[in-house]
Amino acid sequence: MLTVDELERYDRQIMLREIGEAGQEKLKRASVFIAGIGGLGSPAAIYLTVAGIGRIRLVDHDRVDRSNLNRQVLHWDNDIGRSKVKSATEKLKRLNPEVEIEAIEQTITEANLAELLTGFDLIVDAMDNLPTRYLLNKAALDNNIPFFHGAIYGFEGRAMTIIPHKTACLRCVYRGVIPEEKFPVIGVTPAVIGCIQATEVIKYIVGIGELLTNKLLNYDALNMEFTEFNVKKDPHCEHCSHMKTTG
Amino acid sequence: MSITVNIHQALRHLINNQATAEVSGTTVGECLADLVRQFPCIETKLFNKKGKLLHYVDIYVNLESSYPEELAKPVMDGDKLSITLMIAGG
Repeated sequence: MLTVDELERYDRQIMLREIGEAGQEKLKRASVFIAGIGGLGSPAAIYLTVAGIGRIRLVDHDRVDRSNLNRQVLHWDNDIGRSKVKSATEKLKRLNPEVEIEAIEQTITEANLAELLTGFDLIVDAMDNLPTRYLLNKAALDNNIPFFHGAIYGFEGRAMTIIPHKTACLRCVYRGVIPEEKFPVIGVTPAVIGCIQATEVIKYIVGIGELLTNKLLNYDALNMEFTEFNVKKDPHCEHCSHMKTTG
Repeated sequence: MSITVNIHQALRHLINNQATAEVSGTTVGECLADLVRQFPCIETKLFNKKGKLLHYVDIYVNLESSYPEELAKPVMDGDKLSITLMIAGG
């Protein structure tokens, strides 16, 4: 049940026939795990918070560095040196005190991931490296949790939505690793992709629209082109080929 | 056989800063070989020393993944190839 304050706060989105009060209540009941609160995690967390997701858990082991500030918009100049999850939680709570925000300052590992995910309905992949993305993909599949992938490099971004047992997973598309490196980026690129991830999460929770499933969306900011590459489940995928496909 | 190849942003400097190139061939492998003939500098960005496609290079034919056939996948006149690279930044 929405409170009087919530009805007022979310009035403009409740007006959308695709959302309405019923959709807003679904958002309020939802819990979202955001892995990484940097360039992608910042816009995703901001828009999920203002949309009225009930509970958000932020996990990141990192501290704010001056070189983060061109894109990681939840962290400001006076946050340099602070824990990213604490810095982000502070701002998100001020944006929307109705949302329960949890800050966990930890490195995501195979050993702690299952526990970190306990009680969460959805995972937003806002990481900056493939090995952790693969851990999240595997955990999402094993625990039957929808997984919202995003990645960027320079003026380019990608997004893909993975529904366990139904669609191609991240490992069906990416089969190797690339060396971790200092990557170039301008803030507007993760801003676009993080917002796309948040949009996919909202659509999934409310049950509306078409998701980016079995599609890898490629955003070319230099030419302002969006391309959808069609992808299929890989029958030899090391993460999902053993799983029974439904729907 | 004229095939258009869309080149990933990070590789465009190797083909005179063009976004696309025209190649010919009846398979993905032949098309990429023609691309390398025209722009030799791109070879090491696509293939390892044994001539195998690097694992972080993905080829799409008319927006469909070429995996698992990859280099053996047939193409036809007018097809569009896209060379993409894995990205992981956040």
